[in-house]
Amino acid sequence: MFKPIASIAATTVGEAIRRKVLLIILLIGVLFLVVAPGLGMLSARSETTVLRGMMLGIIQLTSAVIAIVLTVYMIPNEIERRTIYTILSKPVQRWQFLVGKYFGAVSALLMMMTLMTSVLVFTFWLQQRDASAIPDLIKAPVMYFVQMSLLAAVAIFFSTFVSPLVNFFLSGGLYLLGSLFAPFFQTLQESQGTPQAAKIFAQLVNTILPNFANYNIQNPIINPGQQIQNESSYYLQVTVYGVLYIAGLLVAGTIVFDRREV
Amino acid sequence: MAAAIETKQLTKTYKSRIHGKINVVDSLDLHVEEGEIFGFLGPNGAGKTTTIKMLLSIIYPDAGEGYVLGKEIGDMSVHRLISYVPERPYYYEHMTGLELLKFYASLFGINDQALFVRLLEKVNLHRDMSKTISQYSKGMQQRVGLAQALLNDPKLMFLDEPTGGLDPIAHREIRDLILSFREEGRTVFISSHELSEVELICDRVAIINKGVIARQGKLTDLLRGGRVEVTFEGVTEQWLKDKGMRDSHVRTIAGGVLLDTTEEEDINALIDAARSNSGRIVSIVPRRKRLEDLFIQTVTDAPAAAAKKTITVEESTSV
Repeated sequence: MFKPIASIAATTVGEAIRRKVLLIILLIGVLFLVVAPGLGMLSARSETTVLRGMMLGIIQLTSAVIAIVLTVYMIPNEIERRTIYTILSKPVQRWQFLVGKYFGAVSALLMMMTLMTSVLVFTFWLQQRDASAIPDLIKAPVMYFVQMSLLAAVAIFFSTFVSPLVNFFLSGGLYLLGSLFAPFFQTLQESQGTPQAAKIFAQLVNTILPNFANYNIQNPIINPGQQIQNESSYYLQVTVYGVLYIAGLLVAGTIVFDRREV
Repeated sequence: MAAAIETKQLTKTYKSRIHGKINVVDSLDLHVEEGEIFGFLGPNGAGKTTTIKMLLSIIYPDAGEGYVLGKEIGDMSVHRLISYVPERPYYYEHMTGLELLKFYASLFGINDQALFVRLLEKVNLHRDMSKTISQYSKGMQQRVGLAQALLNDPKLMFLDEPTGGLDPIAHREIRDLILSFREEGRTVFISSHELSEVELICDRVAIINKGVIARQGKLTDLLRGGRVEVTFEGVTEQWLKDKGMRDSHVRTIAGGVLLDTTEEEDINALIDAARSNSGRIVSIVPRRKRLEDLFIQTVTDAPAAAAKKTITVEESTSV
């Protein structure tokens, strides 16, 4: 049952790491990481704070673009090139194909994010010569990886029924909405003075909308004054949330894809 | 003989904004016997690929029934016994020929290096197994496609336009491979436009037009009733006309009189009569009916409405 998934995932990684557009995005991200210390020096704020914020921002933005570009074309490309027909004519169920493609995308993302994090660590160490700050710094890319895995699941879900262009804007829009407005809806839901109808609406949005903001943990890392209470428990909780949400999206994607005429 | 493929009233409908509902495949009754090479012919958009996709459970029929190797379509267990090479196939270009076989084999849970090499030898790609697919020519890609289609030792192979866009040498290589599949006892279902190719290798054919099977049967039966041209010397055009052979044309040509007829059985008596009348036979040229003629006649002469009634040569002698 898992062998076809692993094979499809491995093939997807092989294709992803050869896609020029992804490599260019990755290269731009890496270049920005390398020149970030130079840009940090131009800021009036504490150099370390700016450098950390900038580098983490570069990794997050680059990873998000890679995650979307990588996944929106994944299923449509297989259909357009007819590779899917040869695969589905073998004893491969559609859910296995979809899950294989997803794990392939996530594995490729992991490789690319690991590369960027390595550059981040190396550049930061060269600039600051302070190895003690590095473990804290790595926490953010780890959480970003969970965030990007969730984003990839959103994009692969949409790719089962919309075109790549529509998917790009849908997934990108949902990512921005889930990153910027999820905390707002959460506050609205929990606030005492919110009317009941608005509370129900906020709760509905909060339930449906993937909460990408959970993984934006850069503030405590950039500003040493801030910290997350029960840090380990928080990381575990948001990771479980992400995994469950991903599983839900893959199940929903399979239901749609199962009946789709390819 | 058992049926490798059997469909009963299989129908696929698509909705079009302009034309409303269109039956891309309309009440298809198909019968393919085990161990034969079956040609599935039709013009572009006739419903050939849609039919194959339904048989492979890639798309779903709207009505009717279909059975592949005795199992209802949609039964995944049959996918272990069949294989498919799509039209103008694309394979992952970053892989080598060997890696491609490994990948497809892994979908069956097969990991047999000796098998991969043997199959690449069979399709004459063993010397190029380390080249990436992007370095393969069209013909080589088609051959590696056939190799991947043999990984599970299939009983039934679906080949969609297997020689489309290939040069004559590649044509011949693919044709020889397909013939070898029949010798190995496999059933081969070919969808093709290459009528001369089909005529050479297929046992039975079906011609589909606008989603409807217009003709189906053994090639030998479908192409029966060719013409014979006999050139006489020493007899007159009128003498031959007076013999009153049905469906025949007589005309005087340089060096004799030419009789063009479908009545092969009466030819011997006519030749004897001509000889006893001091006539001489210059030549006898059988003009076999070609699949291309039958195809064009079926597709262009018969309007779709008339074509709805399937003509099966086993049932009817008038083709």
